[in-house]
Amino acid sequence: MNFQAALALGLPLGIGIAAIGSGIGLGLIGSGAMQAIGRQPEATGKIQINMIIVAALAEALTIYAFVAMLMLNGLIK
Amino acid sequence: MGLEFLVRVRRVSLAAAAIATLIVATYVTPLAGLGLACGAAWSLINLALLQTLIVSVISPAPMLPPAARRAGFALLGLLALVPAGAWLLFHTPALWLTAGFSLPLLAIVFKAGSRAVLESRAWAALTRSPWRAAALIAALLVIAWWALPAAFRTERAASASGRAATPAVAGAMQGAEAAAKVEGAVAKAEGQEESGSQKFPNALELVTRAFPHQRWAQVLHHYEAVVFALFVGLMLCVVGFIASRNPQMVPGPLQNGAEALVEQLYDFVVGILGPSHGPRFFPFLGAIFVYIFAMNLFGIVPLMDSPTSNLSVTFALGLTVFVYVQYVGVRSLGVVGYLDHMLGSPRNLTGWILAPLMFPIHVLGELAKPISLSCRLFGNIFGEDMLMVGFATLGIGMLSFAHLPIGMPMHAIFFPLVLLTSGLQAFVFTVLSTIYILLMLPHEEHGHEEAAHPAH
Repeated sequence: MNFQAALALGLPLGIGIAAIGSGIGLGLIGSGAMQAIGRQPEATGKIQINMIIVAALAEALTIYAFVAMLMLNGLIK
Repeated sequence: MGLEFLVRVRRVSLAAAAIATLIVATYVTPLAGLGLACGAAWSLINLALLQTLIVSVISPAPMLPPAARRAGFALLGLLALVPAGAWLLFHTPALWLTAGFSLPLLAIVFKAGSRAVLESRAWAALTRSPWRAAALIAALLVIAWWALPAAFRTERAASASGRAATPAVAGAMQGAEAAAKVEGAVAKAEGQEESGSQKFPNALELVTRAFPHQRWAQVLHHYEAVVFALFVGLMLCVVGFIASRNPQMVPGPLQNGAEALVEQLYDFVVGILGPSHGPRFFPFLGAIFVYIFAMNLFGIVPLMDSPTSNLSVTFALGLTVFVYVQYVGVRSLGVVGYLDHMLGSPRNLTGWILAPLMFPIHVLGELAKPISLSCRLFGNIFGEDMLMVGFATLGIGMLSFAHLPIGMPMHAIFFPLVLLTSGLQAFVFTVLSTIYILLMLPHEEHGHEEAAHPAH
């Protein structure tokens, strides 16, 4: 297996693996926020803002993998 | 009838000219599209000036100063249009210029014709029964289905001999066969272009294709993200100026929207930073939100491109926030306090022992902030653009068998998603900047606010 074949196999796979982690994290964040809203509906606004912030942090990890793929994409001829 | 008719004609011919310019610029040459657009613009301005002149002359008091001034302006504009038209004739393809010029006239003719048909008795009889109307629509569709591809095929065959993609291919093939081949080659080249440039063509790219050897066009194309970013900034300045120029007690729609946005943002920032610090940082944070939101949305405006789908623009934004946060830290904590903060605020023996470990962690954490901010924004907006381009390509491919210069608007279903991501990413960028500033401010004043953000 040469370098480019390894890259072509590995880049999409890397995004997929990163997306698994982000997905688990987003699911936990969402479930936690929903439970919190269910217990205390009057705090919905505050909980939602915090949920969005943490969700953005979790989602960013997949985006780093995506950016890395974009950077290495040019090496596949 | 009357003026309202002219307004509708203007609207229709503007839309038609935009679509025709796009099609001609893509399928013929970019310069031809430019000529078409210039011709249509010239004709529309001409019509508008004529309308002003006639309205002011037949108004009840044509000799009073306002009407006379308007008539004078219109006359001067008409005179100025003549050399402009001559200049355009010499510098753009005359055929396409004439086509653009006659576009509004065609719109008038078609509109008048459709008015005559729609108000006639035969049309009313035809459309009264839904079955007859359905049959008519089906008949029109069948005629269009047969007539349009045939018309385009003959046009292609005529232009194919002139263009003759490569001499070898054109020499070997004859007649209709050659036309079909060239058509396939053109379609393939366009497909490659779509996947090669990986973006929707924007206005600057069209200009660069129209003037491929000009230095300024290449510079514009190379720095297109910067140009679009500056343009968005300028636009926001103008909108803000207009919205706040003449504040009313009962606001108009623009002032109302601007006030609502500013108030929401203000409440949000003050809610996080507290009433003592919030108003100081609100202009910076609010401007960042509005600017990023506008730049994100700029990608779905036709012929425009979102500057935030370029890493250099987002990194500039992240760097701005980084420098500002460090400045705020040094300013509010003092140099000693800033170093103390970077050491993890050691207050006892354990703290001082851990300080050499905390310092690199804090420095790395500070340095990671602009990178994570800019990469998150870039990745989201760029990915969204790629999604749109991918589905637009799919839509073109769906109708490629009909040989029409149109496609299915498959990417339209993602507009709600684009709106959501644009707003969300602008919001996230602003929230994270706010929290970075909050972390740099003296700690004792917002102890209760810290408890509200356990994630940081």
